Amino acid sequence: MTLPRFELLQPASVGEAVELLASRPEAISLAGGTALLVDLRSRRTAPPALIDLGRIGDLRGVTQGANEISIGAMTTIAELLNHPMIKERAPLLAQACATFGSPLVRNRATIGGNVVHASPAAELAPALLALDASIEFKSVRGRRLVRAVDVWKGPGKTTRKADELVTSIRIPHAAGRWGHAWRKLGLRKADAIAVASVAVRLSLRDDGTCDEARIALGAVAPTPLRVAKAEAALAGKAFADERVLEAAKAAADACSPIDDVRASAAYRRRVVGVLVRRALAEAGLGGR
Amino acid sequence: MSPCVTPKPLPPHDLPPLKQVGKPLRRVDALAKAVGSTVYAGDYAMPHMLHAKVFRSPIASGRIVRLDVAKARALAGVACVLTGADLPDAKLATDMPGQTGRAARTGSDAPVLATDVVRFHGEPIALVAAETLELAERALGLIDLQIEPTPGVFCPQKALEPDAPKVYGDDNVVARWHVEKGDVAKGMADADLVVENTFEMPFVEHAYLEPEAGVAWLDEGDVITIRVCTQVVEHFRTVAKALGLPQNKVRVIGTMVGGGFGSKEDVTVEIFLALLARATRRPVKLVYTREESFLASAKRHPFKITHRTGVRRTGRITAAEITMLADSGAYPYLSPYVLLYATAMATGPYRIDNVRIDSVAAATNQPFTSAFRGFGGPQAALAYESQMDEIAKALILDPLELRRINYLKTGETTATGQTIRSAAWSEECATRALAALGEKTPETSTRKIGRGFASTFQSYGRITWFHDTSRAWVGMEMDGTVVIRCGVPDIGAGQANSLCQIAAEVLGVPLERVSIYATDSALTPLAGTSTATRQLYMSGNAVLQAAGVVRASLVQKAAEMLGVEPGEVELENGEAVVRSPLSAATRPSALSSSLEEGDRTASASSGPSTKRIALSEVAAKAAAGGLPLAHLAQFNAPFTDGLDPETGQGDIWPDFTFGAQAVEVAVDVETGEVELLKSVACHDVGRAINPAAARGQIAGGSHQGLGYALMEEYVVKDGMTQTPTLAEYLIPTAVDFPDTQVILLESGTGVGPFGAKGIGEPALTPAAPAVANAVADALGVRVFSLPLTREKVLAAADAGKNVKRPDPNW
Amino acid sequence: MTEKKITLRVNGRTHELSVAANASLLETLRALGHVDVKSGCDKGDCGACTVLLDGKAVPSCLVLAAQADGATITTVSGLGTAEHPHPIQEAFADAGAIQCGFCTPGLILSTKALLDANPDPTEAEIREAISGNLCRCTGYAQIVEAVRLAAERLASEGVARPGAILPGEVARADQPIRRGGEMP
Repeated sequence: MTLPRFELLQPASVGEAVELLASRPEAISLAGGTALLVDLRSRRTAPPALIDLGRIGDLRGVTQGANEISIGAMTTIAELLNHPMIKERAPLLAQACATFGSPLVRNRATIGGNVVHASPAAELAPALLALDASIEFKSVRGRRLVRAVDVWKGPGKTTRKADELVTSIRIPHAAGRWGHAWRKLGLRKADAIAVASVAVRLSLRDDGTCDEARIALGAVAPTPLRVAKAEAALAGKAFADERVLEAAKAAADACSPIDDVRASAAYRRRVVGVLVRRALAEAGLGGR
Repeated sequence: MSPCVTPKPLPPHDLPPLKQVGKPLRRVDALAKAVGSTVYAGDYAMPHMLHAKVFRSPIASGRIVRLDVAKARALAGVACVLTGADLPDAKLATDMPGQTGRAARTGSDAPVLATDVVRFHGEPIALVAAETLELAERALGLIDLQIEPTPGVFCPQKALEPDAPKVYGDDNVVARWHVEKGDVAKGMADADLVVENTFEMPFVEHAYLEPEAGVAWLDEGDVITIRVCTQVVEHFRTVAKALGLPQNKVRVIGTMVGGGFGSKEDVTVEIFLALLARATRRPVKLVYTREESFLASAKRHPFKITHRTGVRRTGRITAAEITMLADSGAYPYLSPYVLLYATAMATGPYRIDNVRIDSVAAATNQPFTSAFRGFGGPQAALAYESQMDEIAKALILDPLELRRINYLKTGETTATGQTIRSAAWSEECATRALAALGEKTPETSTRKIGRGFASTFQSYGRITWFHDTSRAWVGMEMDGTVVIRCGVPDIGAGQANSLCQIAAEVLGVPLERVSIYATDSALTPLAGTSTATRQLYMSGNAVLQAAGVVRASLVQKAAEMLGVEPGEVELENGEAVVRSPLSAATRPSALSSSLEEGDRTASASSGPSTKRIALSEVAAKAAAGGLPLAHLAQFNAPFTDGLDPETGQGDIWPDFTFGAQAVEVAVDVETGEVELLKSVACHDVGRAINPAAARGQIAGGSHQGLGYALMEEYVVKDGMTQTPTLAEYLIPTAVDFPDTQVILLESGTGVGPFGAKGIGEPALTPAAPAVANAVADALGVRVFSLPLTREKVLAAADAGKNVKRPDPNW
Repeated sequence: MTEKKITLRVNGRTHELSVAANASLLETLRALGHVDVKSGCDKGDCGACTVLLDGKAVPSCLVLAAQADGATITTVSGLGTAEHPHPIQEAFADAGAIQCGFCTPGLILSTKALLDANPDPTEAEIREAISGNLCRCTGYAQIVEAVRLAAERLASEGVARPGAILPGEVARADQPIRRGGEMP
């Protein structure tokens, strides 16, 4: 199937891009294209115009600030995977990048695209939630930062306004010692959509007390989500097996998965608890 | 399963030394494929070529109320729109392809384009040809179809109920087979134990990388010429029949096929292309999208198989009663024969004296099912090898020991009473595969380790009552190079290369001096289908015969020129040389199998100037003397009559390949994930014409079988596909499974050239039952259906928690 | 504007083209005659259409031709010819890594990208690097061996050999034609 016809707009700067988004509300932004071009070919969407962000150099790359790492929205998954700053400062994100699609897709797919596409199974979303990342939106009206936990609103839906461009993803520096883990269960070892995925981060004191826990789930609800109840089972308490089991149960209870061709809701709910438990066990080791 | 298995020593067998055959030479087609110069069916273009699309049914069961193509026809740039109304007599014959002189089964033909009733999701309804692909796609959107859904039947069991909607005939029965051997009642009475189990298998998609494609045009003689990726160039006859043309007015030129696995055995794009080329008198190209390939092509048959087996305490099987139900989908295609294969191989490579098998294939409003590597054999094997392990478990007997007691041996008979005439090295294969697994991986409380194996047998060559034949032409040019002309489709398994290696062996030339022209129904002698693991056997023997005639001319002339007896002349390395009686007698066979060694021996024993002549010189002299330097040979398989209609007894195939596969798995009892840790396959290939290619067949067949075991299922819900692309229908990637270690055994007893057996299909068969048995070993509980999804395995793991695992040393 | 003017450098040759906005790089390359780039799914699931885009292995079905404007593209026939095959191509042929051959161009290009970045990969790295290229025939065993063999041959070769010059191409002094993926 050929792609449907569309007008292709190719702005060279962020300024041009937000002008286009403002003047052409019917246009859709094209990032890496690994999701959008598939949707177009399947006729799941047929916008009259695409705004290709590939020519905007400012949207690519990773920079380190005093309080955060800033990742340009058009940075590819492969670039993130191999980036020393990501490996050092956000290894959880690097781990999620390593299980993203296939090596071929990783050379095209972008972090911004993954955020905006808003799949419930979005590969990077649990890691971004666990890292407490923020998404930077720009428009002719200005700029705003939205915490990842507030970005996703449903399958394919985000808080992004039609005239807004995702320009960067910000990951705050973490103080103290954090353990982390990424667990993904797919139906194949490579290039598979998650049936369930879990990203966790734990801040642990020397005495074994868990100061803070972040537990994020993918593919088990209409959006990627953080599970406050599971986090509360751990935060401020001694890190112990019973707490971990409690958190895992709370996570499984909190999800609202669907039956689809990949797995049943019951299986997803059950397995996400296992993944949370295992992820917490691994993160607990890392934080110690 | 016993931890230590010793390979059973091989019986004495004779393998004469050879020079070209038996070497892992670079395949003749490999480099062109590596540099991208091989042109596949979808790569061709013609001047003034149109692009075609097929309009397909959006539902699985319905009545066409209205089909209006006026708007599509009116679109500028659309050259032609055809519907069933334009071709009232166009039927797609779905009987055994490429066959001559046999009456087709009545009522088995599908309409080329549906006119009133649609029976499956994706059934073709109209054809469009336009100046561009984009226009053709747009024209599809302008076709006005009103279709009234009608109640469908989506389960073969329900299809056989009296009040089921009728998809085929008046009872939905596409085929039935009945096999009766010995006295089952008596065999069951003799048994100490009767074990009964039911096994189920899903639809599976071939998922070759190359979607169906072709280009057709009328040549200057108005011959409809179709360049297409196909396993069967003889479909020119099927096309002629559909179009009402004489058979000599249709020509099929086969291209290198980007994977077939049975699905390009059926007609794919050929008739559509022929109709459009005839209607427009312009070249027309049709390339399926991946989604269309999934919708339009056959699937592997879902089966439900029940075994009831009587067995003595000693492990001797006394009787087997087997029922099989297969889903034929909306049209018969090759279902009757797939069902026959499954039926006749239902008892596995075991001697069972008392057998009753009843099988039926039922029509449903599901994807049609037809040939897929193994042709019913893998489904039969999943059932009989799972059942063997269940019997062993019930008897508390080692699974290998149970099989040892029952393995079919040379001279014994199959379920249909056919005598095994070649080596039946089941135990030799199984013990080697098991021994190669090595030390068992340690397990943890959540990661259980299991081992399993399967012994299988699979026919090669077509059903002998089809009276199968193949032809090949072999000639030597004046410079000593060799040309083969043979209509063999190369579907990637190295069919063409094998023929070249055989000719090189017979004519004593290096492989690179052999060229092959293949797969043109008008210009290359018809070789029959690249299916049924038959080409090495059939066309290999035809090449062997043809090359033998050319060789005789060369040897005769060389003997004259060298002043020796013909029996003293050897052809090797492009030369005729005098065989030294001394060196031939004393030369160890291991050395003589190497060209270099052979040369050295010859040079040492005789002066090169007097005792060797280049084949180019011999060929020139032979030609001048009127000796034939080219020959067209026909090889006939054994011809038999059909099976006894009452008992299903009789011969069906030329011969069988025996093999085994052993695997070790780790099962995560909390997620149901199965990780394959080790896999070893061992097959007796008779003689490996090219060991690297033979290994590739087994490694690749194993991988497909492992996918069948662990991840592949073409999901259909109420007739509608739920796995429309390669993002939902997952096939294994490079990281999913470790390599299958391949052990080649060569009994030299096959009916192919130099004692070769066929390996293309047998390679796939044991993988899935081996995995199923390993998972059952790990959990103590069996999953009775494929694929072994995480959810099913998890359920079995839950059930297994309450089961005491048998002592590992039973 | 539905048409775009673009420049593509494919296997060392520069093409000035006008392409439809909705034309994929895959369609465009094939229309230019580069039918060695295969189409297997059009959705990035199979890897048959892999090309090197500025040295990176990408699925050309998921790239618009207009997005590749100005890029250097290498297809499998840009690596070598039957007369002068690239060591990777020879290794695939020698190792028995090729059966039907439809996945081969993509696999060879993924291998090229891997070995350019990592000349001595482990088996796990090889498998990972080709995990986006589906093969239905071989089971990958001989493909992994071919990649190893290619790595060994390239290492023993020392410096890269000069690239093959395709028929009809002229190597100009100011614009040396080198093996794809190594363009300046």
